[in-house]
Amino acid sequence: MSFLVPLPVIIPALGAALTLMMARRPGAQRAVSLTALTTTLVVSSALLVVTAAEGPQVVAVGGWPPPLGIILVADKLAALMLVVSTAVTLCVLVYSIGQGSADGDEETPLSVYHPTYLALTAGVTNAFLSGDLFNLYVGFEILLVASYVLLTLGSTENRIRAGTTYVVVSLLSSVIFLSALGLVYAATGTLNMAQLAGRFDELPDNLRLLLQGMLLLAFGIKAAVFPLGAWLPDSYPTAPAPVTAVFAGLLTKVGVYAIIRTETLLFPDGRIADVLMVISLLTMVVGILGAVAQSDIKRLLSFTLISHIGYMLFGVALASEAGLSGAIFYIAHHITIQTTLFLAAGLVERRGGTTALDRLGGLGRIAPLLSVLFFIPALNLAGIPPFSGFLGKLGLLQAGVDESGPLVWAVVAGGVLTSLLTLYAIGRVWNLAFWRAPHPDLPRADDDSEGSTVLLPKLMVAPTFALVAFSVALTVVAGPLFGITSEAAADLLARTPYIEAVFPDGAP
Amino acid sequence: MTVLLACYASMAVLAPALVRWLGPKALYAVAAVPAATFAWALAHTGAMRSGGAVTEVHPWVPQLGQELAFRMTAFPWLMVLLVSGVGALVLAYSAHYFPAGEAGLGRFAAVFVGFAGAMLGLVVADDLLLLYVFWELTSVFSYLLIGHDPTRRASRWAAMQALLVTTLGGLAMLVGFIMLGQHAGTYRLSAVVEDLPGGAYLVVALVMVLLGALSKSALFPFSFWLPNAMAAPTPVSAYLHAAAMVKAGVFLIGMLTPVFAADPPWREAVWACGALTFLFGGWTALRQTDLKLMLAYGTVSQLGMIGIVLGSGFRDAALAGAALLAGHAMFKAALFLVVGIVDKTTGTREIYSLSGLGARRPALAAVAVLAVASMIGLPPTFGFVAKEAMLAAFWDGGPWERAMLACLVAGAALTVAYGLRFLWGAFARKPGLDDTDAAPAGPGFLAAPALLALAGLAAGLLAPGADGLLAPYADRYPDTGHAYHLALWHGLTPALGLSLAALAAGFGLYLATRRTSAWRAVKLRLTSGAVYRQAQNGIDRLAVELTGRTQRGSLPFYLGVILVSLVVLAGGLLLFDGPWPHRFRLFDTPLQLAAGGIIVAAAIAAALARRRLTAMVLTGVSGYGVAALFIFHGAPDLALTQFLVETVTIVMFVLVLRRLPPRFSERPLKKVRRFRVAIGVAVGVVAAGMAYVAVGSREAEPISELFPDLAVSYGGGHNIVNVILVDIRAWDTMGEIAVLLVAATGVASLIFGRDKAMHRRGGSRPAPPKTGEHVKWLSRPETDGSHQAIILQVVTRLLFHTIVLFSIYLLFTGHNHPGGGFAGGLVAGLALAVRYLAGGRAELNAAAPVDAGRLLGTGLLVSVGTGAASMLLGGQVLQSAILDVEVPLLGHLHFVTSTFFDIGVYLIVVGLVLDILRSLGAEIDRHRESGDGPENAAPLPEKEAA
Amino acid sequence: MSPNLVYVVVIGVLFGAGVSLLLERTLTRVLIGVVLIGNGVNVLILMGGAYGTPPIIGEAPVEGMSDPLPQAMILTAIVITLGITAFLLALAYRSWQLLGHDEVQDDAEDTRIIELAERDEIPHAKESETEDLPSPVYDAGPGWAER
Repeated sequence: MSFLVPLPVIIPALGAALTLMMARRPGAQRAVSLTALTTTLVVSSALLVVTAAEGPQVVAVGGWPPPLGIILVADKLAALMLVVSTAVTLCVLVYSIGQGSADGDEETPLSVYHPTYLALTAGVTNAFLSGDLFNLYVGFEILLVASYVLLTLGSTENRIRAGTTYVVVSLLSSVIFLSALGLVYAATGTLNMAQLAGRFDELPDNLRLLLQGMLLLAFGIKAAVFPLGAWLPDSYPTAPAPVTAVFAGLLTKVGVYAIIRTETLLFPDGRIADVLMVISLLTMVVGILGAVAQSDIKRLLSFTLISHIGYMLFGVALASEAGLSGAIFYIAHHITIQTTLFLAAGLVERRGGTTALDRLGGLGRIAPLLSVLFFIPALNLAGIPPFSGFLGKLGLLQAGVDESGPLVWAVVAGGVLTSLLTLYAIGRVWNLAFWRAPHPDLPRADDDSEGSTVLLPKLMVAPTFALVAFSVALTVVAGPLFGITSEAAADLLARTPYIEAVFPDGAP
Repeated sequence: MTVLLACYASMAVLAPALVRWLGPKALYAVAAVPAATFAWALAHTGAMRSGGAVTEVHPWVPQLGQELAFRMTAFPWLMVLLVSGVGALVLAYSAHYFPAGEAGLGRFAAVFVGFAGAMLGLVVADDLLLLYVFWELTSVFSYLLIGHDPTRRASRWAAMQALLVTTLGGLAMLVGFIMLGQHAGTYRLSAVVEDLPGGAYLVVALVMVLLGALSKSALFPFSFWLPNAMAAPTPVSAYLHAAAMVKAGVFLIGMLTPVFAADPPWREAVWACGALTFLFGGWTALRQTDLKLMLAYGTVSQLGMIGIVLGSGFRDAALAGAALLAGHAMFKAALFLVVGIVDKTTGTREIYSLSGLGARRPALAAVAVLAVASMIGLPPTFGFVAKEAMLAAFWDGGPWERAMLACLVAGAALTVAYGLRFLWGAFARKPGLDDTDAAPAGPGFLAAPALLALAGLAAGLLAPGADGLLAPYADRYPDTGHAYHLALWHGLTPALGLSLAALAAGFGLYLATRRTSAWRAVKLRLTSGAVYRQAQNGIDRLAVELTGRTQRGSLPFYLGVILVSLVVLAGGLLLFDGPWPHRFRLFDTPLQLAAGGIIVAAAIAAALARRRLTAMVLTGVSGYGVAALFIFHGAPDLALTQFLVETVTIVMFVLVLRRLPPRFSERPLKKVRRFRVAIGVAVGVVAAGMAYVAVGSREAEPISELFPDLAVSYGGGHNIVNVILVDIRAWDTMGEIAVLLVAATGVASLIFGRDKAMHRRGGSRPAPPKTGEHVKWLSRPETDGSHQAIILQVVTRLLFHTIVLFSIYLLFTGHNHPGGGFAGGLVAGLALAVRYLAGGRAELNAAAPVDAGRLLGTGLLVSVGTGAASMLLGGQVLQSAILDVEVPLLGHLHFVTSTFFDIGVYLIVVGLVLDILRSLGAEIDRHRESGDGPENAAPLPEKEAA
Repeated sequence: MSPNLVYVVVIGVLFGAGVSLLLERTLTRVLIGVVLIGNGVNVLILMGGAYGTPPIIGEAPVEGMSDPLPQAMILTAIVITLGITAFLLALAYRSWQLLGHDEVQDDAEDTRIIELAERDEIPHAKESETEDLPSPVYDAGPGWAER
C-alpha cells in the first residue's frame, strides 16, 4: 500500500497547478480544490489505517534506494497528522468558499487563493511525510512561501506591515534551518534521517549538541516557542479569517512535529530535556499572560495558540511514552480547536463587524448558534472536561506526575495555571462579546432571517459546525485515538520501527 | 446510569424547543427527567438498605485510566435522591417563577437540566477522573446559570468569579487525583484505597484534593464566591447553591474520609476550615439585611458544619453528617424558594422594607417556619434529629472532638439566631413600616417549598427509617464504641442538653440583635474576596507588564532576540568545546582567495552603502564573486545558475528601485546601530566557527560517493548535479518549483491586487501609451519613436530567438553537460527581460503572448504529472526510464523520461521571470503612468527621521 | 575533511554584513541582507562537500570530482531565494505605494499595551466589579433599635 504515501503531496500539488491554469474560472477552481482536498483526506485516512495495521510505509522517490535518494515515510505519527490536518484544511476551504461567495469574491483574489492554498497543503503534507532532512526544508519552504502570499492577500496596509514581520522572521528561521542542514551534511555526509540517526551517534558530543540546538532554533521559531514566537500575534490576526484559522491550526504544529521527529529520531539522549522543560514552562505562562492582556479576540486567540504550544513541548521534554503520546494527542486536539476558534472569530467579525472586545456585545442573544459554535471550542481550549483539551492535558499531567522532579512539578503547576488563565481569558471574551448588552454599532439583523443569512452565510457556519463536531468527536473516539498516539509514541521512542522500515537490512 | 445521563443530555437539547412551544409550563415537562431519576433511585432503596451497590462500567480512554465507571452505594444514593428530588421540585417551581416572556428561558431550561445531569453523574461516578469531568461540568453550567441575566455586570462578574474559583480548586483537585491515581495504579474510587504510599507525596495529594472540595463547597478560604453567586435567579440559588452543586465538595469529603481520615492533614485541615467557615458564616448571615444573602451566608456556614462532621472519620459522625446533609438540602432549598416567592410577589428582599407579610401570607409563613425549625433543629424535624446525632457523636469522642464540639454548639447558636432573624425579617410586622403589598402566589408556586419543608418534617418523624438507609454508609467507618442510631428521642442525653443550650443562646442572641445595633460593628473579614480581587488585578497587571516587555511589536527586536539566542547557544557551545579541528587549509586554489576578497569587500561595502542602487550593485558584485567561487570549487552548474540568478535579481531590483527614493532613510540612534553591528559581527563569527567545526569533524563518507556509478546506469545522465536535480532528488525540485509558482503568484497578488487587475498578468490589455512624459531614471521610452529604442528593439528582436534557442539547448543538454531546466529557463527569462527593457510592455507581450499564471501552472502540471505518470506505469513516484529507440531517419535516440520533468522546471522558471516582468515591470509602469503614488503617504515616525 | 579558511572568512563576512542589514528598518536593506546571508549559507553548504573537478562523468576521473550533492542543495536554495527576493521586492514596492516609504512599522496593538504597561494600567477591555454589584455585607440599614 506504499503507493499511497506520495499522494497527499502529489494531489494538492496537481490541484495547485490546475487551479492556477483556470484562474479565470472560479467555479472550476472551487471544484478542483474541493476534489483535491477531499481525495487527500481519503488517502490520508487510508494511510492511517494501513500504517496502524502494517507499520511505517516507506517510498523511495524515483526508485533510488535510501540513503541515496529522498524517501517519504508515513509512520503512525505522520499519518495521524495528515488526517487531522487535511480534515481541518478541507473544512477551512469550504468556509473560505462560503466567505467568498457571500462577499461576491471581491475581497480576496481567488485566482491567487486556490493555488496558494493547495500549495500550502502540499507543503504541510510534505513536511509530515519527509524522511529526508533537506526535503523537510523544502516542504517548509513551500508552506512558508504559500503562507506569505496568503497573509498578504488583498495587500492592505495592515497586512503588508504584518506580512513583512512574518516574512522576515520566517526567512531568518529558514536561513537557520538551511545553515543547520549545511552543517549536518558537512559533519555527517548524509541527509537521510534514518541514517542520520546512526551517524549523529558518531559525532563529538558538543558538535551534535550544536546541530541539535540549531535545528531546535529553526523549528522553535516556526512553532512559536518562547522567546522566539513573539512575531506570531503581530502577524496572524491581520489575515482573512480562514487564512488565520488554517495558519493557527497547522503552521505552528508543523514546527512542533519537526521538533518531535528530530528530537526522538536524531537526538534521543534527552540531554536538553531540562532546557525544553524550562522553555515549555515559559512558553505557556508568558503566552497566556499575553492573552490576558489582549482586548481583541483574534489576538487573544493567537496568544493562547502560543501558550498551548508549551503543553506539546512539555510532552516532548518528558520523552516518555505517556508524555509523547499526550503531546501527539494534544497536537491533534489543538490543530482542530484553534482552527475552529479562529473560524468562529471570523463569524463573530462578520456578525459583530469587529473582533475588538470593547465594541462587541450581546451576540449570545442575537446569534445563538454562533455562541454555541464559540462556546464549545472555547471550553475545549480551556481544557474543560470532557472535551479533548482536557484529555490531552490529562495525558500530559499524568506523564508529568509519573516523572516527578522539581522542574517537572514546576511545569505541571504552570500547566495547571495556564489552563486556568486560558479559562479566564476566554471567559472574558464570552462575558464581553456574547453576554453584554448588544453594542449600539452592531449591524442590525436581529429578527430578520434573510439579513442574518447574509451576515452568517450557511457555507461559513456549516464547516465551523463540522469542525466543532469533529472536535467533540475527538472526545468520543479518545480511546482508540490514544491507542494510536501511544503506539506512535512507543515507536518514536524505540526508533527501530522507523529505521528498520527505511533500512530493512540495517542502516548503512 | 448511562441511560439516565443520556436522558438528561437529550432533554437539554430538547428543552429550548419545548420552552418555545409551551412557554414556562414546559419546565414541568423538563422536570420529568429528574423526577424519573428520583423514582429510579427509590426503586433501589432495598438494595441500598442492605449495603448493596449498583455499578456500571464502560471503557473510554483506557490509556489514561479514564473509564465511564459508575457505582451507587448508600451515600451517593442519598445524593441522587436529593439532587433529583430537589431538581424536579425546583423546575416545577420555576414554571411559576418565570413570567411567560422571560428572555433566555429556553437556554435556562437546557442548562438547568444539563446541570442536573452533571450533578447526577458526579455523585454516582466511581472513577476519580470521571468525577472530575462532572465536577467541572457543574462549574460550567453554574457559570451559565449565574449569568442568566447577562446584561447585568454583576451577574457576569459573579458568574466568572464562581467559575474561576471552583475551577482553580478543581484543577488542584485534578492534580491531586492524578497523584493518587498514578500511585495507586487505578482511578477507581472504590479501589484507590489500597496500596497508597504515605509521606510527603500523600500529604500534597490530599491537600490538592481538599482544595477542590473546599472551593466547591465555598468553605474557607473560598467562601466569597457563593454570596456573589446570588446574582443568579432564585431557583438556581435554591438548587445549585443550596441543595446540589455546593454539596459536591462536602460529598467528596464524605466519600474520601473513610480512606484518608487517618492520613494527616486530612481531618485537621477539614476541621480547621470547616470551623472557621461555620462560625464566620453564621455571624455574617446574622448581619445581612437581604433575605437571600442571609440564606447564602447561612449556607456557607452550614457547609462548614457538614464538612467538619463528614471529615471526622468515625462512624457516628459520618451518620450525623449524612443526616445533616440531607436535612440541609431540604430546608435550605425550601427557604430559598420562599424568598423567591417573597421577592416575586413583593418586589423586595430587604428586611427593612418588608412588614406584616406573615399575616397576609400565612401559608407562606408556615412553610418558612417549618423549614427554619428544621434549620435551627427544633423537634420533631429532621434537622433536630441530625443535630442530636452530631452533638452525640462528638460528645463521645476524644479531647479534640470535644474541642470541636464547643465550636459546633456555638455555630448552632448562631444558626438559631439568624434563623429567627430571618423569620422576623421576612414576616414580622415592624413598627413604623406599612404592611408590604404582596401579589398572590398560587398554590403551584408554593407547592415546591411546602413539599420540601414537609419532607424535612416527615424525615424527622421517620428517623429510624432514615437511620436504616444511612447506616450502610456510616458502617464503612471504624466504629468507636456503641453505634448511634438516628431517632427523635434518645432520652435525657448530654446531646439534648447541648442542643437546648444552643437554642437558648441563639434565642438570646436574636433578642439582643433586636435591641441594640452595637453588634453590627463586629465585622468578620475571614473571606478572601479581597484576595481574589487583588489576585485578579495582579494577574491583569502582570499580564500587561510582561506582555509590554516581551511583545515589543518591532521586527528588529524579534530578529534580535532570535539572533541573540543563536549567538548565545551556538557561540557558547563553540567556546565551551569546539571541537576545534587541528588540520585546515588556507585555500584549494589561489583563485578562491581572489574571489573571496571580492566577496568580502563588496559585502561590507554593501552593508555600509547609503544609496539603494549602490547597495544593490555591490550585492550583485558579491553574488558574482560567489559564482566565481563556485567555478573554482568545481561546480559549473552552480556557477551558471548563480550568475543567471544574480542577473535576474539585479533586473528585478532595478525595476522596483526606480520607484523608491534613491537614498535609504537615515539610520536611527547610534546606540541601536552599534548593537546592530555587534549582533552582525557575533553572528558572522559564530557562523564561521560552526562551519569550521562541522566540516573539520567529518569522518563518514558522503552518500554522494555512490552517485557517479548510478548516475549513468540508473539516471541515464552524465551530469551528476542534473541527475540529482531531476531524478535522485527530483522530489526536492518538485517542491522547489512549487515554491517558485507560489512566489510568482504572490508577486502578482501584491502588485495587481484585485482580481480584475490580475487578468492583466496575461498581458492581453496593454494600456495606451502616454506621450511627453518626463523621462526618469531607467524608464524606457514606450513606442514613442526614440531612435535609440528602435535600434535596441531591433537588436533584441534579432537576438531574442537565438537566446531562446540557446536556452532550449541548455535544457536538453543539461542531463550530460552544465545546463538543465533552471539554467535554460533563466536564460529564456533574461531574453524576455531584455525585450521588455528595450521596448516596454508591448514588446514583452509580443515576445510572450501567454499568461504567466498559465505557464506556471503548466510547468508544475508537467513536472508533477511526470511523477504521477511513473506511478501509473507501475514505478515509484518520479521514477525515470531510459528509452533507447531506433527511430527511422533519426537513427538512435537516447531519451530519459526525467527530461519531461526538466521541461516542467523550464516552464516554471520562464513563467516566474515573465510574471516578475509583468508585475514589477509592466504593471508598475502602468501605476506610474496613471500617477499612482503612495496612496496614503504618512510621514515617517520621528525616530526614523531623526 | 579539512576546512578551507577562505570559505570560513567569506561565510563569516556574508553572515555578518547580512545580519547587520537584516536588523534595519528599511525593507530594501533587509532584502539585501537576506540576499547576502543567502549567499553565505550557500558557501557554507558548499564547504560541506569535497572540492574537485566538475562532477560530470566522462570529463574527468570520478575520484577527483567535487561532491555533487551540496551543489544540488545549493541550486535549490538559490532558486528559492530568487523567488523570495521577488516577493520581498513586491512587498517593498507595495509598502511604498501605500505609505510612501518602505520602513517596517511597529505593531500598533503591541504599542498600545506597552503604553498601558508604562502607565501601570490594566487591559481596557475587561470587566471590573465596580458597578452594580450586590455588596454582600450590608452596613447600611439602621439597626432595629435605632428606629
